[in-house]
Amino acid sequence: MSGRLTKHELLAPLARLRGDAVVVTSMGVVRPWARLSTSPLDFASADSAMGHTADFALGLALARPERRVICLNGDGSTLMTLGTLVTIAEAAPANLVLFVIVNGTYELTGNQAIPGASRVDFAGLARAAGIPSVHAFEECAAYERALPELLACEGPVAVVVRVEPGREPPIERGPGEPPYLRVSLAESTRRLRAALTGVR
Amino acid sequence: MSPADPPRASVLLDAIEAALAPTHAVGLPDNASAALFSLLERHPRIRLVPVTREGEAFAVASGVWAGGGSPLVVVQNTGLLESGDALRGTAVRMGVPLVFVVTYRGYARASGTTPLPPERPLTPEILVDPRLDSVALLTEPTLDAWGIPYLRYGSDADVPQVAAAARRARDEARPVALLLTRALA
Repeated sequence: MSGRLTKHELLAPLARLRGDAVVVTSMGVVRPWARLSTSPLDFASADSAMGHTADFALGLALARPERRVICLNGDGSTLMTLGTLVTIAEAAPANLVLFVIVNGTYELTGNQAIPGASRVDFAGLARAAGIPSVHAFEECAAYERALPELLACEGPVAVVVRVEPGREPPIERGPGEPPYLRVSLAESTRRLRAALTGVR
Repeated sequence: MSPADPPRASVLLDAIEAALAPTHAVGLPDNASAALFSLLERHPRIRLVPVTREGEAFAVASGVWAGGGSPLVVVQNTGLLESGDALRGTAVRMGVPLVFVVTYRGYARASGTTPLPPERPLTPEILVDPRLDSVALLTEPTLDAWGIPYLRYGSDADVPQVAAAARRARDEARPVALLLTRALA
């Protein structure tokens, strides 16, 4: 792949089309997503465990099969727990859309290259793991054209999108951060559960 | 059944159902938990979610809870040690009231041969002793270091431990480990 989307080009169409889906963000898209959405169904996998966003989203998808779950995972995070691709394929949640956002770097720590940045084929890894619907994009128009169908079709779906490296600083929780980062991870988790179940 | 008999998987699962009403069981089997996995594979109300590595189990379970479900995790103590940051950064940090079953590899030999830590210091000699499985020596000290409460379960007579673990997990909004000191029959 040679082209790249900006983060805005990746996220803005998603914010328009997500409907009542749960959106789980991680790493370099946590803050950019919060500039586009303040839904109670947004969840930042931040101050958590790097590499464990996609499996968390899998659990959500299994618990709420009637609702679409969109997971915005990074390439470095994906490499940390490659087995999760197999776990997702095995569990086969029809409502899970897993984005692998490929920028080739660990953005939050200063854009150090991830291992295999110029060689790893994330779409190939997802296919080899057994995920039945895998799509890769490096160009904005093609991505925007395909997105409505990707968010509507039966999953699990893996969407690999190559984006430009950004300059997000490390993520913290507290005042001054976007609303979904102003509370603790525990409170954020309780709020998501309440939003999904109607029980506080 | 006497305390000398091995704990039965069916008795443990009945107690788990009564205390937790789990919707999903997430984990990896070993010899000690095989009988429990066998029951879970064909359970009409609990969905079994196999994972490739134990750390995933805690993240999946945390997602299940955030989604309104009631998760159970079953892993071996070796996998528990591998799961350190996943457990810390998901179930603990998210305040998930999770009961997780840990099969205690090496417990019988270690507890029958030598006092377990903290009574017995973790010296270099004991950690390389081929007569002992070092994971058994490290299980409880690791849970202590991580701030995870635990209860032992070694026979059918320990059934009340399941409800106690569930109660503590719920009251304190935290994960609680149930350490299976013997293989299930």
